[in-house]
Amino acid sequence: MQHSIKNYYINSIKNYTNQFEDTNFRRIACNDFKSWPSPREETWRLSRLGSLSRKKIKPINPNLKKNNYNTLNLIGSTIIQFVDGAYREDLSSKLPSGVNLSVLSDSESLKYLQKIKKSNLSDHPSTNVSLSCTPSIMKLTVSKDIKVKDFLEIIYEGGEDSKSVHPVLYLELEENSSLYLIERFNHLTSLAMPLQLIELRNKASLNSIKIFNDNEKTYNLSANCVYLSKESYLNSFSLIKGGIFTRSETHAYLNGCNAKLNLNGIYISCNKQHHDLTTAIYHDVPDCTSKQIVRGVLGGKSTGVFQGKVRVAKDAQRTDGQQMSRAILLSDTASANAKPELEIYADDVICAHGATVGELDDDQLFYLNSRGVHMDKAREILIKAFLEDMINQSVDNSLHDFVFKEAELALSSIITKETL
Amino acid sequence: MSLLEIKNAHLKLDDKNILNGVSLSVNKGEVHAIMGPNGSGKSTLSYMLAGRDGYELEKGEILLDGISLSEMEADERARSGLFLAFQYPVELPGVGGMSFLREAVNSRRKFLGEEELDHLAFVKEARKEASKMYVKDEMLKRAVNVGFSGGEKKRFEILQMAMLKPTVSILDETDSGLDVDALKIVSDGVNAQRNSENAIVVITHYQRLLDYIVPDFVHILSDGVIIKSAGPELALEVEKNGYSGLINAA
Repeated sequence: MQHSIKNYYINSIKNYTNQFEDTNFRRIACNDFKSWPSPREETWRLSRLGSLSRKKIKPINPNLKKNNYNTLNLIGSTIIQFVDGAYREDLSSKLPSGVNLSVLSDSESLKYLQKIKKSNLSDHPSTNVSLSCTPSIMKLTVSKDIKVKDFLEIIYEGGEDSKSVHPVLYLELEENSSLYLIERFNHLTSLAMPLQLIELRNKASLNSIKIFNDNEKTYNLSANCVYLSKESYLNSFSLIKGGIFTRSETHAYLNGCNAKLNLNGIYISCNKQHHDLTTAIYHDVPDCTSKQIVRGVLGGKSTGVFQGKVRVAKDAQRTDGQQMSRAILLSDTASANAKPELEIYADDVICAHGATVGELDDDQLFYLNSRGVHMDKAREILIKAFLEDMINQSVDNSLHDFVFKEAELALSSIITKETL
Repeated sequence: MSLLEIKNAHLKLDDKNILNGVSLSVNKGEVHAIMGPNGSGKSTLSYMLAGRDGYELEKGEILLDGISLSEMEADERARSGLFLAFQYPVELPGVGGMSFLREAVNSRRKFLGEEELDHLAFVKEARKEASKMYVKDEMLKRAVNVGFSGGEKKRFEILQMAMLKPTVSILDETDSGLDVDALKIVSDGVNAQRNSENAIVVITHYQRLLDYIVPDFVHILSDGVIIKSAGPELALEVEKNGYSGLINAA
């Protein structure tokens, strides 16, 4: 039974891929998708896709007329909209000068595939399935020396029950350019498989906020591959709160000296949600810095996973790699897993990691109670402080309120449920 | 009627008897000092009064202004007018001093049937009280007790006391970790709040604090019971002869 369902998705991908003319890169990707990752694979052991593999899902045919997505409170002054995984020019704004969005040609798409295949995301299901089924690979470029002032916001929406959506993006920041990007995942679908390749050229700087807020039935398997060149900077922050299963997996390659990377995240999980932040940072050259702070708040029967690997190659001397994860469990039935991994082959490095999973601190709760603050309120204050502290460190001041409110919305349902 | 009445309080921690029948009456306008050697049960007594989980009475009763505290949680006791100044004030990373104070004060005001203070009125009031305790604005913007020196923490405790206007305050070893100058500031802050309607219980090892906050009564706690009560001269006797003579005599 399971075998035939597994083939169901593989066959539906094959059929779907056949409709495209530019089949070269699609065929390679399609052939490489053999099955869903098994729990025997180490990086999928804590995030099992068993129930997804039992669903009958087909890639969606994007409906290019869908147009009911104007209710969001937008924060960016420039909006790029994806619906059903397809870029929608009619719903997007004009881009500022120096920023360009285009469709990759067949040969460029093949190069894109080759770049991702060089990374450790080569076997990720979103790599192969999304490259087979994406309507097209969209490339967003910021030209050399352009510092984009306003926030750029990408919104991913659409999808259907029993359908999968496949937005694929290629983001290139040319030399000495900078961008502040906010991405919001608001799918209403069974499966979303966003795939991204990000290349930061010398001295380029990208601030990125991702908010995963898909529908409560959605599986989101986001895969991101990042290459950082000399003196480039990526400050990335993810807030995972939606979906029944959301895994954001990022592989970052520090390929140029003095590149700097922050890869922070928060997950807020309730009911039966499963949230997973998986990262791998590869220090391949000397003098790079990477910092990771991950915090989780879990209620209900939810589970949280943080897997963070830092690999320091033999030549990557004077690497500074820090990693810290903390999760707070608000119910007896929630669980959190943290799996930090350091692989260090250089001898002159500063690397540290720490992981804690626990409840709220009794001394802190009592201190608040002793000042007349009710237990429910005391818990709320401490949880918000736990997250706010981190949001302050990770996002631009002007976006702090917006991000905090997004977190607060998710928290409110957990806090009331767990304290009743 | 006493403002605070402790009647025959018994308490066990991990099956060990800590309080073995403490009785104490504190009237309006009075300051009581409870002294005792290490391990005599002083801090347990303060946690028991404040209502910390796990510090429930096994036997006995506590009344605040005639009302039993036994069934009340810590937050309810605080709103009712009981205040505990901590020996080791707790750090609250990410919780701003000003919003913490406001939350506490408004909880108390709501209980008293007073209107909650709006943001501006509150900030004005907080700054006024803070300046009396030499607590700078900048400290109120920081997270509660995070990175505060020993003296700053204790000043912040007394600032909370001033703003909450409790009927009974328990100061648990407020002198610990303070130098002479800080001790004076903290004591002045406490003395400024003494009035005919409230009462203060000072828990301490040393006579030193009592030079600044002069008590009406001094009690010696040993092995979970009060073995002797007298006027302020008792503290001087302890200073001179130590606790052992008193304990042996009892």
